[in-house]
Amino acid sequence: MSTPSLMNHVVIVFLKELVDALRDRRTLLRLAVPALLAGPLMLMLMSGLIAQFETRAEQREVLVQGMQHAPTLRNYFERQNYTVKEAPADYEVRLRDGKLADPVLLVPADFEDKLARAEGPELELVTDSANQRANVGAGPISRLVEGFGRERAGLHLMLRGISPELLKPVDLNERDLASPGARASRITVMIPMFVIMAVLYGCLTAALDSTSGERERGSLEPLLMNPAKPLGIVSGKWLAVALLGAGVAGLCSLSFMPAQLLLRSDALAAMFRFGWGEVASFALILLPLCAALGAVLMAVAIRTKTFKEAQASATLAMTLVGLAPMVSIMNPGGDAPWQLWIPGLGQNQLMLLVLKGEPITLLQWGPAVLTAAVLTSACLVYVARHMREAVSR
Amino acid sequence: MITLDQIAKRFKAPAPKAQGLSALLRKPAAHWVEAVKNVSLQAGNGRITGLLGPNGAGKTTSLRMLAGLFQPDAGRIEVDGIDVQREPQAALARMGILGDAHGLYPRLTARENIVYFGRLQGLSREQAEARSEALSELLDLKKVIDRRAEGFSQGERMKTALARALVHDPANIVLDEPTNGLDVLATRSLREALRVLAREQGKCIVFSTHIMQEVEYLCDEVVVVARGASVARGTVDELKQQAGCERFEDAFVALAFGNEREAA
Repeated sequence: MSTPSLMNHVVIVFLKELVDALRDRRTLLRLAVPALLAGPLMLMLMSGLIAQFETRAEQREVLVQGMQHAPTLRNYFERQNYTVKEAPADYEVRLRDGKLADPVLLVPADFEDKLARAEGPELELVTDSANQRANVGAGPISRLVEGFGRERAGLHLMLRGISPELLKPVDLNERDLASPGARASRITVMIPMFVIMAVLYGCLTAALDSTSGERERGSLEPLLMNPAKPLGIVSGKWLAVALLGAGVAGLCSLSFMPAQLLLRSDALAAMFRFGWGEVASFALILLPLCAALGAVLMAVAIRTKTFKEAQASATLAMTLVGLAPMVSIMNPGGDAPWQLWIPGLGQNQLMLLVLKGEPITLLQWGPAVLTAAVLTSACLVYVARHMREAVSR
Repeated sequence: MITLDQIAKRFKAPAPKAQGLSALLRKPAAHWVEAVKNVSLQAGNGRITGLLGPNGAGKTTSLRMLAGLFQPDAGRIEVDGIDVQREPQAALARMGILGDAHGLYPRLTARENIVYFGRLQGLSREQAEARSEALSELLDLKKVIDRRAEGFSQGERMKTALARALVHDPANIVLDEPTNGLDVLATRSLREALRVLAREQGKCIVFSTHIMQEVEYLCDEVVVVARGASVARGTVDELKQQAGCERFEDAFVALAFGNEREAA
């Protein structure tokens, strides 16, 4: 009988932990189902919203109250291919409740007279900024009314023999530099956050089960009475934890592929591209995160007395990493190189780059890998040192 | 062969709460609990040595130090001449330990639990499988060997844990209150197994207990531990003589609590 090497111990512990975790079907299912559903659900909701905007833009409808007072305006609207509809009488209540998805234009009774006398009749556009759908519709209507004003002004000038060009001394053309992918990333900015959450939850259960769970079951003490180096045992456990996290992250990334088929908006479907290349990039980005998170959660859990306490302590780490992507969501475009060094935030930035369809350089990937490597080794050594203490507590 | 030579261990404990203003101003002084003050034991091969003492006497702490879980503050621990503090891995390879905590992995079968530890001890998969088969015979585990440990009874769990501790066929066996929670039949079969291991296979067995009958039935030698120190040693008959009592229970009470009574 020979004492096995450190590597042997790592493999033996890893295989056992993997079998143990895979047999826990119920927990696995509870991890896998949200991971698989998060992507499709979110994309579906977003595409539904955007499709709604699109169809509304195609419908070209204006809700007006008092259109009978403004035949000139009606004429203009209809020439712009808009259908004028009478607004319901209780429009205010319905806008506030979010039941009405369009803003309402109010035309005063003396509109036509004032217009004829050039007294500047007043129109009122009623919307509710808390009603997102109605609010979005306000822009096109106000542009429509401005167009009406410009046309009137131009006609007046022409009658007086002045070129309407004088009203437009400057021409403005917009040119959008964003690639379709980059344009879509305004919508997909949330995706990395969900994937990072999936990694967190994937690692959490396994990390706690293999440390404080093992202690609570009373199997850590006998395990340490084997002639195995603590670092070997810890490394084996950590490998299994990181692999589970990676598995859940992989499922979550893969779920975006079929989710694309569910996109109801053609424009969004054209902009959002998620193929095998993107899945592979996500995997490369997330592997270091899985490794680091697994080690951190184990280090947090080994100091606690019970599984419950471990869960409470892990919440802090989970919140920090889980909310890191908020930095970029709150401050879009304000990316700085230091962000790549922060676990969670760095991965978020890299995944956003992938979603924008931009290539990732080693210089961008390196910092995230380096921090993860340092964090992982520090935590593993820490756990190995404190395992014996944990038993005697 | 296991030797504990005058080992001692104290633990830091939370200090009693100070009252009033001084609690805020002064940092409470460290409070120490002396779990083991002076325990010595010599356990020879082919013999069963009992560590007999009341609850809280320091038996489990002593055995945990023997298992290398923490270092004694003073004293020396040797297993077959190997110093546990200096070469813990080598010492552990020569011991099979059934500690105070002996949880199984509920999602693994009894066999997988045993083989896992065998592999960690350096056995090949085939060797570990063969040993688990042999041990299930010895410990009467055949019926449950391929069932998951989840639904095991206390006795089945204890026997599986014992098989797991013995998987590498260690020359020295250490058991911490092994009959805790076992019924009469399970206790009997465990006793039988221990006898076979010591008498027929020449193992050195050390086990701790607070149950008199067990010691009387099994032990070749008894070390009485009380308040963190070993206070008497010898065969059951020798201890009875020493205390001048006819019943072993009386002898134990006299030896373990005698000084206390005199003081009171």
